[in-house]
Amino acid sequence: MNEFEKLEEELKELRPLPPSDAFTARLEEALGDAGNVAMRCLPDREDDALSNDFIKSAEKQVFPVRLLIFAGLGSLGLAAVWAAIFYFSSSIVPSGSSEQNDSANLLIAESGPVPEVPGAELREDPNSPLHGISLKELQDVSVMPVSGWIDPQINERFVRKVDEGVFDRPGRLPARRVRHYFMDETLWSHPASDLRILSTTPREEVIFIELETY
Amino acid sequence: MITHNMNNEPIWKSWFARHGAKLLLFARQQSRRPDEAEDLLQEAFVRIWRLYGHTGEVAPGLVYRAIRRLAIDWARSIDRRKAREDKVALDSPLSFSFDRTLEQDERKQALIRAVERLPAEQKEVLTLKIWAELTFDEIARTLDESLNTVASRYRYALQKLKDWVPEEMQGKPEDSSSTAS
Repeated sequence: MNEFEKLEEELKELRPLPPSDAFTARLEEALGDAGNVAMRCLPDREDDALSNDFIKSAEKQVFPVRLLIFAGLGSLGLAAVWAAIFYFSSSIVPSGSSEQNDSANLLIAESGPVPEVPGAELREDPNSPLHGISLKELQDVSVMPVSGWIDPQINERFVRKVDEGVFDRPGRLPARRVRHYFMDETLWSHPASDLRILSTTPREEVIFIELETY
Repeated sequence: MITHNMNNEPIWKSWFARHGAKLLLFARQQSRRPDEAEDLLQEAFVRIWRLYGHTGEVAPGLVYRAIRRLAIDWARSIDRRKAREDKVALDSPLSFSFDRTLEQDERKQALIRAVERLPAEQKEVLTLKIWAELTFDEIARTLDESLNTVASRYRYALQKLKDWVPEEMQGKPEDSSSTAS
């Protein structure tokens, strides 16, 4: 046991006198409206129950949107892989060669006739994102226009702000934590085909506001 | 927006019920006159609560710090004559700041008298550590001192109390001016 522990216990037993009722009343008067603007999350309050329901419903709404985005991206990726496999399987084997071996014949037989795609030779298209595949080929395979998209419109939509109260931070000033909820929207437009794709992504930002003394 | 707690009283009142006594004790130590302590606490609390009260939870360390800063500001603003008068009030008995039911306990009274004899800088560290329940880190920030300084002052204070309480109980206190460091 620390040599001072007993002494500390004795000191703690001395209770400081509480402020008088008159002083508390004076304080209330001095606070004015500031005494009635506190915001705090109390889980057993009806307001917070409503607030929690709102958060849950918002989360439920966000989930299908995310699912759709992932499904869409997955489909696009799959289509790109299939397009690459299809292209390479048809271009690696020379179609008109008389010196091809049996396995090559078999591959051609399984692959079926190679479609006549203009510019399907192994030429680099500087505008294509994929090596060895022209923009035109990419467009034919993905059934989506590749070129002609105008710059996407990005919109940051503010949803709500939640003040989460004051937090102590070890070795630093205590800070008020405020969480901002955003919905980022990106809209791609293709005027030639009147095609538009809207992507929405939920986002949170947490801001710490250091508390000053006065 | 919730402004009242479960007992349907403003949140600041329940906050003040928890911390008010400790804050007032510290304000009494920091103020020049006993009647100034409440003014000091009121000013500090109202300033902090107006700034951060809307969160519903204010770190007590902020109010302690505001009390100290205000006390320094107020002390600078008074004239020299008044300061000389108030110097007398600085040494007002600490026993008035504690629960009077303890008066029956001789050892506790000796303890209070021993605390009163401590140098001011050790007394304020002791107050913030024991009754305000702040960490050394918070105390250092409140007093604008280094962590080592406040920890040393606390240890010196406890050592002196350990030595002085038996003396106080025997009614033979040493001269506080000779023991204060």
